[in-house]
Amino acid sequence: MEAAEFDATLGGTEQLPFSANSLKFAASRSIEIAAMTESIQRTNHNKLIFQNLPVHMRRRVMSHNSKRLPIKLREAHTKQFKNNGFAVKQKRPSRKYRRRPQNLLDEYNRRQKRHKWLETHIWHAKRFHMIEKWGYRLAYAPCDKAFRACYRATSAHCLLQDISYVTPIEINGPVDTIKELFSSITSPSCGLGLCAKAYIDGKREGLIHLYQSNTYPFGYIGKLNFIWVPHKCKKTLWLFVHPSQTQEIESILTNLIYSNKNYDPEITKKRRKSSGMDENVKIKIKAGIFNRFRLTGPNSHAVLTHSLKCVESAKIKNDDWAKSYDDLNLEEKDEYWESLSTLNSPSQLPPKIIIGLIVKDPRLSRPSKRTKAIIETDTSFDSNIVLNIPSYASSSPLWDLNIHEKLKKKIMSNGEFIQHLTKTKIVPGDINENDPVLQSIPIILIQRPGSQDSDYKKIGYGSGWDIIVPAGYGLPFWLTFKMFGGRSGGLRETENLAFEMGECYFPPDSAAGKLEEKRIENELKEKYFRLPPSKRVNYIKLGINSPFICPWDLLLKDWCEEHIYDFFVLRDRQLLNQIQDSIDRKKLMPEIENSNSCLIPVYLTLKSRGNLKRHALICLPEVTDASNIKTLFEPHHEDPNEKHRKQKRKEHLKELKKSRKNRVKLKKQGHASNVTKRTNEPSEYVKNMRQLWLPSKIDSVRFIGTRQVLGYLSMGALSFSEARSCGIGYVAYNALSELLKMEQNRVLVRNVSSRKYWLANIQTVKNV
Amino acid sequence: MADVMADPNSLQKKEETKKKQKRYPNKNYALKKRLPPRPVNGDNVLFITKKTNFKAQLDKCCDLLTRGEKEIILHGLGAAIQRCCNLALQLEILFSGTCQIEVNTGSVDLVDDLEPLTDELDFGSQIRHSSSIHIRIFRTAMLGSNQN
Repeated sequence: MEAAEFDATLGGTEQLPFSANSLKFAASRSIEIAAMTESIQRTNHNKLIFQNLPVHMRRRVMSHNSKRLPIKLREAHTKQFKNNGFAVKQKRPSRKYRRRPQNLLDEYNRRQKRHKWLETHIWHAKRFHMIEKWGYRLAYAPCDKAFRACYRATSAHCLLQDISYVTPIEINGPVDTIKELFSSITSPSCGLGLCAKAYIDGKREGLIHLYQSNTYPFGYIGKLNFIWVPHKCKKTLWLFVHPSQTQEIESILTNLIYSNKNYDPEITKKRRKSSGMDENVKIKIKAGIFNRFRLTGPNSHAVLTHSLKCVESAKIKNDDWAKSYDDLNLEEKDEYWESLSTLNSPSQLPPKIIIGLIVKDPRLSRPSKRTKAIIETDTSFDSNIVLNIPSYASSSPLWDLNIHEKLKKKIMSNGEFIQHLTKTKIVPGDINENDPVLQSIPIILIQRPGSQDSDYKKIGYGSGWDIIVPAGYGLPFWLTFKMFGGRSGGLRETENLAFEMGECYFPPDSAAGKLEEKRIENELKEKYFRLPPSKRVNYIKLGINSPFICPWDLLLKDWCEEHIYDFFVLRDRQLLNQIQDSIDRKKLMPEIENSNSCLIPVYLTLKSRGNLKRHALICLPEVTDASNIKTLFEPHHEDPNEKHRKQKRKEHLKELKKSRKNRVKLKKQGHASNVTKRTNEPSEYVKNMRQLWLPSKIDSVRFIGTRQVLGYLSMGALSFSEARSCGIGYVAYNALSELLKMEQNRVLVRNVSSRKYWLANIQTVKNV
Repeated sequence: MADVMADPNSLQKKEETKKKQKRYPNKNYALKKRLPPRPVNGDNVLFITKKTNFKAQLDKCCDLLTRGEKEIILHGLGAAIQRCCNLALQLEILFSGTCQIEVNTGSVDLVDDLEPLTDELDFGSQIRHSSSIHIRIFRTAMLGSNQN
């Protein structure tokens, strides 16, 4: 062909110039440039934008709904439409979106004014049913019905609970004054005292029962845990009080201190020599500075060993709060914690020990997926580790409240942490275990031994750890524990655990227990009366006069001749052991004072068949009952109120008809109708009918059925640990001695909604 | 050894000292037992107690072996040793020669806590020793699909 523009380097004739002038080049191409710009700017005006789309991208009604166009064309399309005068219709956001709060944090703070939230509240609120109790909004139960799973978690795996609602109280003062203070509100017969040698070193956590001042055995308040913290030469006492009892305990302690002060001027003459005695005892209530989590079950040890990694002394130099501490024994604690990591279960450790550790931020050791923490055991088990507690194990800087401010300042929030991981690292998401940006955290671990008596419950059931974490770090620790396989539980799990372990949960002689009983009674009564009359259980015919509450004072009054105003639950350990002995051997019970107002806590297990429920009656068996238990029924009782109810109902219906007729007449005549205000309170008729169904005035409970009533069950259900139905209840002292006089050690139990009697074995509760 | 054992006086003395140890439990302390250390757990490991039903334990062992486990390991402590032995022998009869038993005995340190009953004393601990048995039952003749 013609090689007209053949390049010289390839063997042609044309020579290319060495340089090109860009202006000349553009000028000679100006025609093409002009044509191109015109075609871009002057679009085709015959069609709209969306009509220029290829066929497979067109959608129906895309002119009205611009979301059906590709994103790049949407803006141009809306502009076209606006220019042509079509109003762009904004979709009104949903009602929920419109009503959402402007500032979420303000909204949360406003809600917390009524009931306080725990740090893990939002996490729980998404997964649990929440209830309001004791001034807090707490998780009651998980949204999935997880009774058995939670039991299995306590028995073989790990159950997690957030118990940060317990109030810590700090008491500063000389040990002798504190001892004197508490000697009037505790009793030595219920267990070891506050200043016992076992607890005063601060190596173990103790438990005491508190009473009103000088009223033992009456006036029970509750039980609380305490820890002594030795600091240089002083000792501080920390109490952990359940929120249902905080107010009572606070008022008692302040009263005691003020009355102590009043006596001081008289005694100061004698005590002028010892300057320590005049020092004041200061009580500070510190709600909200600690988060406390409870882990129950054998796997809780594995969860903790995987989540808590001790810090080295090199790292702690970076931390602000640690600057005032020179000797934290970090290496020894690390070694100790490592040596403990090979254990299977927390119940292999000395009971109730306290271990203070300083750990790395839990977010660094968190796995990315939920994994079960498993301990790799060696076959060798050195029993020396678990025999002795080293002296440095229990000390912790967490008790010093001055460092809490510093800790709070330097917390890295979760958002910041994620930013740190993704933006500042070379490999985003790579976790450096010794990251200096995250500060190390002091924590305290407290061991709970669980059951230690193999005759009562299997050894180690209910054992676990309590971990105390500074405020602000609740959620990081909680999520790490969850990721290592902890199952979370709520208040219902606390109740169930107390029941499975055979402990008394809110005993009826404490104010908190009485409130709880009242609340349950109201709830059950409301539920009962919401049912239509044909579906209601007729308790009068069954011979039960108080199905929703246990009338302890009436019971005690029936078993002695006098009127009972105040009663108490027996907590004296020696006496309880003696009573257990007499039940085992069917011999007579020891005599005690105040036996007329004494209730004995008992644990019932059904012998063969049957199912125990709340408020069941514990009855005295007759001699022949053991042989014909299968046919033992309570005969039907007469219901004298039935006729009255039917009559009342008829009259009421007539009245309603009459009043309706009147109303209709008035309306027709055009008179202004007398509109009565609707109140939530039930009318007179309803109240009277309720009285006829369930008379509230009860005089006597002992002889309502064919068998005498000894006591009641406060809690009864199928116990998974025993694989049979069990119950915890209270029996009057005189009643139990009556039972033993007959040389019987088994009782009859009858549920509230049934006429059948079942035989049950009775024993005293071991940990009251 | 033989003449010492035959001597009636020394035997009596041994019995007396043994009896004296048991007769007076310490009134100042309450004995609280701790959980014994557990060997490695797994699907084919069973811990035998005297409390559970014998038939239930036997059925569980049978199920494990027939489901295809190559071996099962039974652990027993103290009074449960007899139950363990019974189970193993019954299984041998049931499987009529297709399984073999290997037995190991040992002793385990059990720790007890002495909880003080008065304010002046501190917690103490004591170590007891208990004999343990570990029986390994493995199948020698596997049929059909269970073969390797």
